[in-house]
Amino acid sequence: MQSFELLLQGFGVALQPMNLLYALLGSILGTAIGVLPGIGPALTIALLLPVTISVAPTSAFIMFAGVLYGAMYGGSTTSILINTPGEAGSMMTALEGNKMARNGRGAAALATAAIGSFVAGTIATVLLTFAAPAIAELAFVFKPSDYFALTVVAFTSVAVVMGTSRVRGFISLFIGLGLGVVGIDSMTGAQRLTFGVPGLYDGIDLTVVLVSLFAVGEILYVASRYKPGRDEVIPIKGFAFMTKQDWKRSWGPWLRGTALGFPIGALPAGGSEIPTMLSYTLERKLTRYKDEFGKGAIEGVAGPEAANNAAAAGILVPLLTLGLPTSATAAVLLAAFQNYGLQPGPFLFTSNPQLIWGLIASLYIGNLMLLILNLPLVGVWVRLLLIPRPQLYAGILVFAMIGIWGVSGQVVDLIVMVAVGVMGYVMRVYDFPIAPVLIGLILGPMAEIQLRTALAAGQGNPMILVGTPLSTVLLIIAALFLLAPIVLRRLAK
Amino acid sequence: MSGLSNSSGTAPQRAEAGDSASAGPRPWWLGAAVIALGCVCLYGAAGLAQGARYAAIGPGLFVTIVGGVLVFLGVALLVQIARGETFEAQDSEDASGDEKANPVALATAFAAAVVPIFTMAPLGLPITAMLSFVLVARAFQSRRMWLDFVYGAALGIASWFLFTKLGLQLGGLLPIAGL
Repeated sequence: MQSFELLLQGFGVALQPMNLLYALLGSILGTAIGVLPGIGPALTIALLLPVTISVAPTSAFIMFAGVLYGAMYGGSTTSILINTPGEAGSMMTALEGNKMARNGRGAAALATAAIGSFVAGTIATVLLTFAAPAIAELAFVFKPSDYFALTVVAFTSVAVVMGTSRVRGFISLFIGLGLGVVGIDSMTGAQRLTFGVPGLYDGIDLTVVLVSLFAVGEILYVASRYKPGRDEVIPIKGFAFMTKQDWKRSWGPWLRGTALGFPIGALPAGGSEIPTMLSYTLERKLTRYKDEFGKGAIEGVAGPEAANNAAAAGILVPLLTLGLPTSATAAVLLAAFQNYGLQPGPFLFTSNPQLIWGLIASLYIGNLMLLILNLPLVGVWVRLLLIPRPQLYAGILVFAMIGIWGVSGQVVDLIVMVAVGVMGYVMRVYDFPIAPVLIGLILGPMAEIQLRTALAAGQGNPMILVGTPLSTVLLIIAALFLLAPIVLRRLAK
Repeated sequence: MSGLSNSSGTAPQRAEAGDSASAGPRPWWLGAAVIALGCVCLYGAAGLAQGARYAAIGPGLFVTIVGGVLVFLGVALLVQIARGETFEAQDSEDASGDEKANPVALATAFAAAVVPIFTMAPLGLPITAMLSFVLVARAFQSRRMWLDFVYGAALGIASWFLFTKLGLQLGGLLPIAGL
């Protein structure tokens, strides 16, 4: 029950007026960017990073959590009303939700999405509250070789699961690893891949790469394939809120979606795509209204939306307890911790309980705020879609260059922005997954330090890497990720 | 589950590959670019110590491994391309992967990204922001260029004041004039 006491203290932190204000700010911003195309939670948090110079860490993370959760709420709005899923996780919502809106049941679809997100977000936060300290406790016994094996699992799973091709997934990952070694080596002081450019001595900042890939790459890609005047917002007719039957058909999918989303979101490379797809398939199998699927079944909105939000909470488990990011958003949150000189992991729970528990408590508050912000005010958010695309994307580029120029004030970073932006364009055209680049960039240096520490402790004997049972098991899991697709394909033949 | 369906889905994809490969040129350069990136890493690693006296590995080994794997992956990609691997452009919110690229729009957007390299230091953020804003809006086929100049300038000046106040080092308002 110690968690419960700590959580109460966390509420004491999160309920301070200043922190409430940051939670509200994050929630509003998150919902807005969830609704807007071209800008997602990872990019938004990356652009907010420089502002953290003047904000206390607890307040900043409370704001970031609001952005993370808010984007999940906002993403469903666009899926339902204009059939363009904002985030990968709201793809399934668009299937049934948009049909419901076309049948004049948009309000009910939005309601089941928002309430489902609230239910799932709250349950997932409860699970996080009790699971995180327990996992953090386990992580205390991790040796460098265990940590190294863990990062290897993260690398292989990210490269294999994300995207359509393993080769392209690994290319993305190793480009990220390559970008990660640029700069002065922290253990020996040697310059690596700087080629004598002073601006590169400090390494390539995650913000620069993330903003270039997500903002510049996206702008180049969308501009090259943009056709004006395609979007059509379906007006919400009347106020056909959820009926008694809607409630009856929604609560099961909400709970099942949460049960799928949280654990999968917590796994390396779990993300939100897989649980939402699984939830949709499951609800389709279980429903008594099979003929409604494909024509606007409410279960098909309720389940995936719940899974989506639960997965968003799930990614916080490995991030907070092990310092292991499993998505682009988690990678930028990790960068935010590093900006403050903090390293997420078991020690953060003992050294900075105020921050961790204040953050967790703020998730409960943020969910409630988002429910209120989204249900009655959905009409306001929809108006954001009236911003003309040319000016919207132009504005995103301006904020991207402020984010990059503000980090360092070096022209080198602007050159990196163009180079990485062009890479982001090519990756979109040839279907390379983008998240592995960021995971490689932020996790690569950590993996290398753990590897070198482990080998130094073992006096150079590589057997130290499989010296503990845990590291052996983890490396076997990593190998399975690598080999499973090949084996499965053989079996299928 | 979905991983399963992904990997088993490669068989029909390969069957279609013949058609689309004949429709467009094969992107050999993609594999070459990956190999080139790997070679850059290997070249950079060549001057570094691979081993260290106390730790078993030095600063260079990790870079060598990354470079070597990139070269290997580049070759693997070339093999895939030779076998007729298809590349489907990703769908985005305002763009469909099936759409053909518009080179003029792409070049205009690219120019918007390049402009800051030359103007940020001498002309400052507000003017740079205005120029890039107009170029991106133009790439997205905005017809009211004069309005875009006004929007861009307003956004540039407003964010310069706001972010400078928040403690960001964005340089002068108009450095060339000493402001």
